[in-house]
Amino acid sequence: MNDVQQRIRQTVDSDDVVLFMKGSPDFPQCGFSGRAVQVLRSCNVKFSSFDVLADEDVRQGIKEFSNWPTIPQLYVKGEFIGGSDIILDMYEKGELQKKLGA
Amino acid sequence: MVMPEDIKKWIEQGLEEARVEIEGDGRHFNAVIACPAFEGKNSVQQHQLVYGVLGDKMKSEIHALSMRTLTPAEWDSERG
Repeated sequence: MNDVQQRIRQTVDSDDVVLFMKGSPDFPQCGFSGRAVQVLRSCNVKFSSFDVLADEDVRQGIKEFSNWPTIPQLYVKGEFIGGSDIILDMYEKGELQKKLGA
Repeated sequence: MVMPEDIKKWIEQGLEEARVEIEGDGRHFNAVIACPAFEGKNSVQQHQLVYGVLGDKMKSEIHALSMRTLTPAEWDSERG
């Protein structure tokens, strides 16, 4: 594992719920990232976020990390959950709340 | 500019017997995709199959692709 992948692993493991996104939760820079934040907030769950726009290495490296070419990406307890479509779909089915223990 | 029909064609060429409904404005696209290869896979794995087919196009031509993936049976039951 190279440095970037290691750094991503550490970030993923740094909290139970970690969202890689464009911008910050209060100022998302992309509609899909904003939607992911809204869903997490609806679940009333505490989460950490990482702004990939502030780190080009992570922005590229995260695509390989989970073989997933788009952002946002949600991780719960170290496990890749999905991008914005999957996050929203799971929320609507009540599966995300279960996963988050919310 | 990428047209919805282009993406439909790429997916159909890469995924055998795929059915694709797609709309978009050249930058943002919404797709519903059904394919026998999705059977027994979770959503992440299904999306990864589609991303795999689109490859580097996801990094360049396609700015954003929102998708729902279905098995053929799910597709049929949704469309009655």
